[in-house]
Amino acid sequence: MYFAGIDLGSTMTKIVIVDEDQKTCSSVIKHTGAEHRRLANKVMEEAMEQAGLSFDEISYVIATGYGRINVPFADRQITELTCHARGVYSLFPGVRIAIDIGGQDAKGLRINGGKLVDFVMSDKCAAGTGRFLEVIADALGLKLEDFGNISLKSTNRVSISSTCTVFAQQEVISRLSEGIPLEDIIAGLHDAIASRVARMVRRLRIEPDVVFTGGVAKNIGVVKALQDNLGCEVLVPDEPLLSGAIGAALLARELTLDALAKGEPIQRGERRLEEATFFK
Amino acid sequence: MPYFMGIDIGSGSSKAVITDDGKLFDYHLLPSGVNYRTVSQKLRDELLDKAGLSPGDISCIVATGQGSANVPFSDRQITDIRCCARGINSIFPSVRTVIDVQGQSSQVIRLNDKGQVVNFVISEKCAAGSGRFIDVIANVLQVELEDIGSLSLKSDNPVVFTTACAVFGESEAVSRVSEGIAKEDILAGVHKALAEKLASLVDRVGLEEQCAISGGGGLNVGLIKRLEEKLGMELLVPPHPQFVTALGAAILAAESTRVEEIS
Repeated sequence: MYFAGIDLGSTMTKIVIVDEDQKTCSSVIKHTGAEHRRLANKVMEEAMEQAGLSFDEISYVIATGYGRINVPFADRQITELTCHARGVYSLFPGVRIAIDIGGQDAKGLRINGGKLVDFVMSDKCAAGTGRFLEVIADALGLKLEDFGNISLKSTNRVSISSTCTVFAQQEVISRLSEGIPLEDIIAGLHDAIASRVARMVRRLRIEPDVVFTGGVAKNIGVVKALQDNLGCEVLVPDEPLLSGAIGAALLARELTLDALAKGEPIQRGERRLEEATFFK
Repeated sequence: MPYFMGIDIGSGSSKAVITDDGKLFDYHLLPSGVNYRTVSQKLRDELLDKAGLSPGDISCIVATGQGSANVPFSDRQITDIRCCARGINSIFPSVRTVIDVQGQSSQVIRLNDKGQVVNFVISEKCAAGSGRFIDVIANVLQVELEDIGSLSLKSDNPVVFTTACAVFGESEAVSRVSEGIAKEDILAGVHKALAEKLASLVDRVGLEEQCAISGGGGLNVGLIKRLEEKLGMELLVPPHPQFVTALGAAILAAESTRVEEIS
């Protein structure tokens, strides 16, 4: 038996297929774009091809993330908080605090024995999310992927005084025109986002292990800045984007196996795996 | 009769006025750019030229605004809150509340009949509370800044913005465009969102009539209309809303000189 978890985020869409023994068979990561339904279908087909499976062999599909209602072939939708907690716990069983910084929001989760017990979230303001760095990288004509390594060269971090992304963008340009090195400015941006998220997550009381996921966790500069701000070690999975999808796939497995063990029927969705687009 | 100058170095534009006997004599505006010192010199020189005066004709210069420390030739610096209150009081003595909407911040000031500040609140942390929010959306829609206010008034069906962030608002505007929603409805929506944010600032200081608008926001008929709807009253709009703070600075320059002469 195989189980799939698909996580439609604001920026990236992620899918993971696991087998009965919780082993990952395949995973796909793609940019979300505008057409959620078509993309959901595409990543599912790619993941099945990678694993050499047909749709009938997938026992259960759980969709999560901001676009989870746009997955016509899913059997069930579960919020990303629950899926993240489950996914992070499977990767780091000692996790107590999980921090996820995505393209459009930031979350802090308190986890106890793999269960979500409390959370904090920020999605009202672009500052403190991946979007903050994305907007500035765009204005500077730089690749976001390069930010982490550039910032490691910094010897004299600049303090960014603006909270708002729009104002910070302007502040960065002013600092550059004053001749301040790029690496010191980017290190300042990383500290700005890390201190903002740390302030929010501290409301949950920080306790190790602290795990950091989401696209921004790929940025080594933010990882270090977050460690400095929290004053403790921060663990990052090999693929920080996948934790929500892994959690969704594992929950799909648990729901199915539980139902089978109890001899109950499995609550299935309509399971329409076909190309559907918003524009049709 | 001595002349006085007020010079207001703002985040987006720098304004200077010369007063003669407490009345506006001449005024000038330049974009602030990145070097406030250079722009303040240039602003002074160009304004003096325009007014046909020489530096010696100006008895006292007061600098205000976020770049006021970078005006090397000023005699004094006074906060923009005080200058704005004094400026609006000289134009409309009946005004007790002024909403000052600038490119990068907004402030609501309560003042007394002498133009002294009673209370104020500033919103400067977030672009969604300033004129910048409208600039960002106008940029997405490729509408000239001068046209946004009047264009927004053509809408009967303003779009509702679900976010309070200018960056997320930009994405929302892009989504609405792709859904085929008219520019004027999107513009009307952003004006409404800003008006609501400003009205909440007004609530925090308490609204006392009459109420005026100043700053660059006072040039935007769309914003004025939405604010009037939200506050349920008419707003007084000065003839040159962007120059109210610089005018107040010039008047305070004259008044401080008078006090010094007496004492």
